[in-house]
Amino acid sequence: MKGILRRYASTGSALLLGTAGLAIFTGLWALAAAKLNNEVLLPSPLAVLSTYAELLTDGSLLGDVRASIFRVFAGFFIASGIAVPLALILAYSRVLRGLVMPLIALIRPIPPIAWIPLAILWMGLGDPPSYFITSIAAFFPIFLNAFAGGTSLQHEHVNAARSLGAGPGALLVTVMLPSALPMIVTGLRIGLGQAWMAVVTAELIAAQSGLGYMIQISRLSLETPRVLVGMTVIGLLGAVMIGALGVLERRVIVPWNHPH
Amino acid sequence: MARRTSPNDFRATRLPAATPPAARVAHLHVVGSDDAATIEATPRLHLDNVTVRFNARAITAVEDVSLSIGPGDFVALLGPSGCGKSTLLNVMAGFCPPTRGTVYLDGEPLSAPSAKCGVVFQKHSLFPWMTALDNVAFGPRRLGMPDPRRIAQELLNTVGLGAVANAWPSSLSGGMQQRVGIARALATRPPVLLMDEPFGALDAQTRSLMQEELLSIWDRFRPTVVFVTHDIEEAIFLADRVVVMQAFPGRIAQEFAIPFPRPRATDIMDDAKFIERRREIADIIRTEARKSFR
Repeated sequence: MKGILRRYASTGSALLLGTAGLAIFTGLWALAAAKLNNEVLLPSPLAVLSTYAELLTDGSLLGDVRASIFRVFAGFFIASGIAVPLALILAYSRVLRGLVMPLIALIRPIPPIAWIPLAILWMGLGDPPSYFITSIAAFFPIFLNAFAGGTSLQHEHVNAARSLGAGPGALLVTVMLPSALPMIVTGLRIGLGQAWMAVVTAELIAAQSGLGYMIQISRLSLETPRVLVGMTVIGLLGAVMIGALGVLERRVIVPWNHPH
Repeated sequence: MARRTSPNDFRATRLPAATPPAARVAHLHVVGSDDAATIEATPRLHLDNVTVRFNARAITAVEDVSLSIGPGDFVALLGPSGCGKSTLLNVMAGFCPPTRGTVYLDGEPLSAPSAKCGVVFQKHSLFPWMTALDNVAFGPRRLGMPDPRRIAQELLNTVGLGAVANAWPSSLSGGMQQRVGIARALATRPPVLLMDEPFGALDAQTRSLMQEELLSIWDRFRPTVVFVTHDIEEAIFLADRVVVMQAFPGRIAQEFAIPFPRPRATDIMDDAKFIERRREIADIIRTEARKSFR
């Protein structure tokens, strides 16, 4: 009982502090905007808020959000679907590892934005190049973490399972996968963040919808409040999704790494 | 049993190192009818000139070790680190194939890990992604035994951990984790229990409690136990036979019979014979260690 109360108290104080921090920041922002008195250089928080209302009522914000979220998830799922199995296969096969790892080491430093020309040449404008860019961005953190998870397999666990009658299939499902899972989930969380950053980059250049596109055309028409709406929505959605994945990780996917 | 003659007859029971199987059979032949003697004479575990060489490191970890272990024996493998005692245990468990020689389990050559041998590791061998109960139920599930959860719960009760069946291993203390490890190894009712310094990472008090606990568990199930340790008192307290190993290369230096009656309590550690045997074994280990220093 006491423990529960204490936990509520600590959650409450964290909420309070967080809200206070945000309030102070917004206050400073409002002060700076009033002092500057220039809607294009720095719109006030109230102006941004009213633009929020305007874009919500005409429905364009939701349309852009939907387009961006869909691209993020498309890229994220494509990347996870390739990166996780590939990483585990490479973790367990020395020959394949030797064959593929140098290639990955060479491709990895290329920033996702450098792929945009090729993506547009191959796929034109629209959704496909955005999927491509977001999946490239999400791929490497997912792959590298899943690979580390696969190679962190402990001899004792394998030996214990074998001495308790586990064959190759049972070893894979009951030992290798769960022992790699914590690192895989860490990779997925980082990958999701990367996908959010990349979707905006892709939409700035290669798409005609979505939050990144909205930011870009608003910049051209000097509608800075809209730019700030786009930016804050991206921050909010990214934080919520990564937070949700964190909760899922602690409660459902790898509860053994977070007892209590 | 022929091995445990008189509890006080220490000198007579001292065996030469690496008793050849034939000699051991003859030794066991003394009691019982011929049939019974033949059954008893088949060693549960028999190591025939086992050599393990790690070519990558150019190390001969174990050289020409022969050892016979009868059903229900409690054998301690004792020696300094690097003497190959853990490697020898891994060979018996089927984790590490010998470079030369053969291991026989119930007369059959052993080539892979067998569910007949339960293994308890030094530490960190519980599956962290399973609760204590699921760790113990793992073996019964893999072997298709009926009602694995009930088997696991009963074993956890036996080792005094029935109340924390649903805890994750990471939330248990080191001693509790080792008890779960012992329960897990016993869950498939293996005739052989191989223990690799299972209490080596525990503090002295917990260690002493665990030794007594182990003896009471052993008394209940009576498996054949091979117990690796570098602690002389632990070896004498627990085992019927203490096999002292030497390093570089790993060989059997000498074997001692420990005919203290069972059940044993910690007060035998104050017994003059216990102390004498401890000194004797310590001398051997020191002599061997000095040799390998040159």
